[in-house]
Amino acid sequence: MAYHTSIYLFLFLPVVLLLYQITPRKIRPFVLLAAGYVFFWIISGELVWYLILTTLFTHYIAIWIEGTEVKNKKGRKRILIFGILVLLGVLGYLKYYNFFAQNVNRVLDQVHPGVAITMKMIVLPIGISFYTLQAIGYMVDVYWKKIPAEKNLAKVALFLGFFPQIMEGPISMYPQTSQQLWKGDPITLENLTGGSLRIIWGLFKKMIIADRLYLVVQAVFEHYDKYNGVVIAAAAVAYTVQLYMEFSGCMDIVLGSGQILGVTLPENFRQPFASRNAAEFWRRWHITLGVWLKTYVFFPVSTSRIVKRWNHFGKTHLSKHMTKLGISAIALFPVWLGNGLWHGARWSYLFYGMYYFTILLLGIAVEPIRDQILKVCRINQDAVWWRMLQIGKTWMIIFTGELFFRANGLRAGYRMFRSIFENFTLDKLWDGTFLSFGLDKADYFIVFCGCLCVAIVGIIRERSLLDTQQMQKVCLPVRWAVYYGLIIAVILFGAYGVGYQQVDLIYAGF
Amino acid sequence: MQDSSSRRKKIVRSVIFLAGLLGLLLWMSHQITDFTKKNGDMIQGRNKSIVEIQKEPENTIDVLVVGDSESYTSVSPLEMWKNQGVASFICGQSGQKIQETYYMLKTALTHQSPKLVLLETNVLFRNMKGVKGIQEEVIQKADYYFPIFRFHDIWKNMLLGRKYTEERYKGFTLRDMVQSYDGGQYMKETTEKDQITQDMENYTDKILELCREHNARVMFYSAPSPLNYSYRKHNAIQELADKKQLLYLDLNLHTEELSIDWKVDSMDKGDHLNLSGANKVTQYLGAYIQKRYELPDHRREAAYQSWQKDAASYVEKAQKRIMLIQDRGNSGK
Repeated sequence: MAYHTSIYLFLFLPVVLLLYQITPRKIRPFVLLAAGYVFFWIISGELVWYLILTTLFTHYIAIWIEGTEVKNKKGRKRILIFGILVLLGVLGYLKYYNFFAQNVNRVLDQVHPGVAITMKMIVLPIGISFYTLQAIGYMVDVYWKKIPAEKNLAKVALFLGFFPQIMEGPISMYPQTSQQLWKGDPITLENLTGGSLRIIWGLFKKMIIADRLYLVVQAVFEHYDKYNGVVIAAAAVAYTVQLYMEFSGCMDIVLGSGQILGVTLPENFRQPFASRNAAEFWRRWHITLGVWLKTYVFFPVSTSRIVKRWNHFGKTHLSKHMTKLGISAIALFPVWLGNGLWHGARWSYLFYGMYYFTILLLGIAVEPIRDQILKVCRINQDAVWWRMLQIGKTWMIIFTGELFFRANGLRAGYRMFRSIFENFTLDKLWDGTFLSFGLDKADYFIVFCGCLCVAIVGIIRERSLLDTQQMQKVCLPVRWAVYYGLIIAVILFGAYGVGYQQVDLIYAGF
Repeated sequence: MQDSSSRRKKIVRSVIFLAGLLGLLLWMSHQITDFTKKNGDMIQGRNKSIVEIQKEPENTIDVLVVGDSESYTSVSPLEMWKNQGVASFICGQSGQKIQETYYMLKTALTHQSPKLVLLETNVLFRNMKGVKGIQEEVIQKADYYFPIFRFHDIWKNMLLGRKYTEERYKGFTLRDMVQSYDGGQYMKETTEKDQITQDMENYTDKILELCREHNARVMFYSAPSPLNYSYRKHNAIQELADKKQLLYLDLNLHTEELSIDWKVDSMDKGDHLNLSGANKVTQYLGAYIQKRYELPDHRREAAYQSWQKDAASYVEKAQKRIMLIQDRGNSGK
């Protein structure tokens, strides 16, 4: 029951909203809690026990940390480490056991042929990568005394099991949502309209653009050996756009669902394609994962003993820049290793993490030379042409990263990347190759128009020309025309029904 | 006071907005239904039968055939017309799910009052339980009340001038491919049986109720198909038929009477029948149902003149195709 399916939109969500509205205020959070567990059970069945046990474990570990004397620093730390290790252990076992076994077996095959670790049929509970990070974040916040340990188990349960967030996040921190979730405010007309509009906008991105591009992506990435040059390059662009439209579209549905219930969930995207460099891109793309890694990995490592020692060493032996570079390397490495691993058990995901680690580090390394060149050449960094050049460069970085991310393995990614430079002619764009992927000219036209609409809305948001609240103040006929237009566009141009395939959410698989 | 007035105003506006949306969807659905009736060529294969059955003159069909691909490859309405004068129509679809069967019938029964509904039983094993089943129900309900959802992308065919032309004869097409089945006897008697889920049984009840409301009787039949049928399935269907007091004809047990020659009559190695196989089944089934359900012979009725014309054209083309099939079957191509 993904968020874009008819069963969620026309049955599950309306029933939950109705039950929520008709129950007394005090009961409403429990309606949301029950809805979360029903939602989880519908998708993952008995695996709901993982969520229940994670909730119980997280709740009591947090209370245990808080209950341990403040002076007993080591004791508190040990409890926290125990808590983190157990949660990561479960996640690691479910997600990485077979990956580990597969790679060990490769080595064993060379050393002791015939000896192998048994592979297991492991089914992942839905959203485990998302709720595990939320649970760890909550425990660490209690350890850091940012928040008190929550005594009410149901509040922790709702924080981890709020149904719009289960499948794809956003990964929220306890103070961001817990109070809102527990308020039980009635649904207001403003929230209902605003949230519904956001849901429809999400469907627009997912059903009109992403689900069409899926066909191109599938055709090229699954048979990459048949193509080269511009076809591979276009497929990398198509995948990036598909991923963005799908993930951000799903987030619109999730945030819209939350908005109707009066819960403001953290944003996950902020016009990422307007970024001028890779670092900015990651501040705009999957924001909540970035913030989580920054808060719970980057900062602790930045203030760790090893960084302090390096700092001390650098001050006496190295230049200021080299010291900074070293600190960045030490702190960024676990962040990007975590980012890669979090996406799943594949070498290509690990490569993806390391790819950004290298690019960001390179960015820091060449900073003085770049500043020097800019100064000598008297380049105005705010000039439009310079900004466009930077955005173009960032796009290249993004498309390359996504090519490796989507490819069926690291080797396939490398071959695809290499083949871009073979036989690169633009003719392939017009010779009918792209019409053999299951999309016709009308589909490409719709994808183009859809992307144009998303880009225009992106520019409006980027320049803060009009937000959702201001939209409510626009004169009624214009507003209604936009609403009706959006709904009709999704109905007429959505890729659903006979001749189309229902495409599963990509990030639900992480 | 002002708050309450502004709230009321907002509620009224929302109701008007929703009513407008509903009106818009109904209007678009009406327009698109009319358009599809006039431009059947623009409809893709799977949706053709739901459009075509609505184009048939009111209350002219006596037998409706529903089910998955086993239904539309096993019964030829114009062959039945030629032999018995019974007006039948195929409302089967590839991979039809039981929810689709129900809404297909619901659509057909708005303009037709058939005396008999023939349900090809392979659909009973296409499990759509739990969430999948509910989702399918939601989709089918939406398609039924708002056909704009079903035909939403017809604008593409309009724009590109694309047509899906097929020679169709009351929902049947002439299939002359031959791929023989040589797996031998497949209906080995046993007391074991496959399972028909409770969800499926519930849908069967819904279909029976719908047909009862429209005074149509229901009969189960299984088309000859070594790939899809076994004695275990036969037992399960027979049990359900007995429970619901329905007549069940398993043609897999009558392949000799039907003179099915698996070298010639199968189009894909025992999965579906080709034209030759379908004609054999239709001759047998037509005689069987006419006798049991006292179905009228319309061949001399003026209102059915177009059927005579269609049948003549069908017979001429079918004969040529059958000769081709026999050549292919005998030469093993």
